[in-house]
Amino acid sequence: MRGVPPQLPAHLPLTGADCFLRAFEHEIRRCAGSSHSSQLVLRLGPGFDAGIFTKLVEQVARAQPIVRAPIRRRLGVGPPAYCTRAAARRPLPEVAVHDSPAPDAALPARFAARLNQPLSLRRGELLRFDIVRYAGGAAGTDLAASWAHLLFDGAGSECFVRWLDACFRGAATPEITPDPNELAPAERPERSLRERGEGATRWQRWVSALGDPPMRSLAGPLRRTRQSLRYDVHTFSTQETARIVASAQRRAGFLTPMLFYLSVAIRAHHAVFRARGVDPGSFVVPLPVNLRAKGAAAAVFRTHTSLLWFHVPSSETGSLDALLAVLKQQRLDAIRSGHVENGVYAMDFARFAPTRLYAHLARSALRGELCSFFFAYTGEFLDGLDHFLGSEIRNGFHVAPVPPSPGSCIAMSLYAGHLNATHVFQDDVLTQREREIFAAQLREDLLA
Amino acid sequence: MCHPARPAATLLRVSIPTREALTERVFQLLRDEILDVDGSFTARSNLLEAGLDSLAVTQLMLSIEESTGVWVDESLLTPEHLESAEALAALLYEQLSGA
Repeated sequence: MRGVPPQLPAHLPLTGADCFLRAFEHEIRRCAGSSHSSQLVLRLGPGFDAGIFTKLVEQVARAQPIVRAPIRRRLGVGPPAYCTRAAARRPLPEVAVHDSPAPDAALPARFAARLNQPLSLRRGELLRFDIVRYAGGAAGTDLAASWAHLLFDGAGSECFVRWLDACFRGAATPEITPDPNELAPAERPERSLRERGEGATRWQRWVSALGDPPMRSLAGPLRRTRQSLRYDVHTFSTQETARIVASAQRRAGFLTPMLFYLSVAIRAHHAVFRARGVDPGSFVVPLPVNLRAKGAAAAVFRTHTSLLWFHVPSSETGSLDALLAVLKQQRLDAIRSGHVENGVYAMDFARFAPTRLYAHLARSALRGELCSFFFAYTGEFLDGLDHFLGSEIRNGFHVAPVPPSPGSCIAMSLYAGHLNATHVFQDDVLTQREREIFAAQLREDLLA
Repeated sequence: MCHPARPAATLLRVSIPTREALTERVFQLLRDEILDVDGSFTARSNLLEAGLDSLAVTQLMLSIEESTGVWVDESLLTPEHLESAEALAALLYEQLSGA
């Protein structure tokens, strides 16, 4: 057990949500030759020291085996697990430092390229960093953390960044004790195995019914094509963002602004379908739900989410407010039906299923599609953190991954009064003209 | 406000508790079933700071509906209503009394 903190078992089973993402990982590797990688980008001011950062990452990786632990099924059966005992023999996370003469408003192309480079979960390749220094760092630095999506969810990745910064400031140490939620995601109330089984069955039936009426994504059903993701970051001014945030709260309620942003995202996709002269039939979109215990210390590693599914006929996307009303009702109905918890039960049971079967089941309900697009709204990004390792954070956001089918994903968050909408897409799914249509509709609805 | 999908909500109503009983009920639900809080959490603690989020609020409203038969639309909530369990219970009592 040398090198393994006593708090972490030698085999740490993946959560149900982790396995859901692992199924995507395998499918993308098999059909698109890449990985299901997420990214967090920080645009930093002068003064960032890449050497100190690299050393810090090394310290954290040595203290926390999970960041380089191979993921395998133990003895080939049971749920896949992080093999923390084997982590010490794996390489440390890569930190690649690049130099560029002058800063650019556009992000370095190598950040998007990273999303298309495969990781090997079996070999513990889970996390890596790219640093681009401008004028040796005197004119600022861009930092991208890329990771196998099951290592952190969006909230966890922000916790990780905060933790790195706290280690730098001496406010924390790399040898943190994992939160109890790290080992077993919070769940309340307790349910018997039979109740869990019934809940999982209800969830499966619910998701299966999403295929009627049929939907189609911008990319179409599953296809074998090399993954080639790119992304556009739409950053809104502080004045625009203030207007957008007020509109979201007024229309959707201050606790559920994500429904406003989801409405906007649906209509932006529909604008592209309209331009193509294609009726998608309906929109089917999963919304991640953060399941961390409310008020508990934040869990860093693994994904702690369930999924709420929305299903809207394309005929109901004509008005932003009417669409929003449909989404509000569907959210309430799903929570009332217990589908947040049922989703956890279903994903927990599916951990034992072979990965290929898992991916097949996920697509079979929607005739080869997974959903219309992926969506995430994570609220304030690194709320209250304005410096990272002593360097000012000028902007920061998430880049959420998407398989070649459905081929489109939008993640939204707020930083320092700016709304960032990151649209990730498979390169051959959207033309330049369609990207402009998408962006124009997005902007029009956000500022409506 | 009664939920549009529940036009007969008032017919299903079990009972409308007193304001004090409602405050105690809301506090207990939050402390024991919804939030992960320690002994310092009181009926006057700020709920957003204690970790209350949109999912937790909806679950709370569903619990209230279960015991009273009345759905209180969560879009009526403002940050002020989540300053404490007391403030939230005051809104709920107002809505339940008028339902």
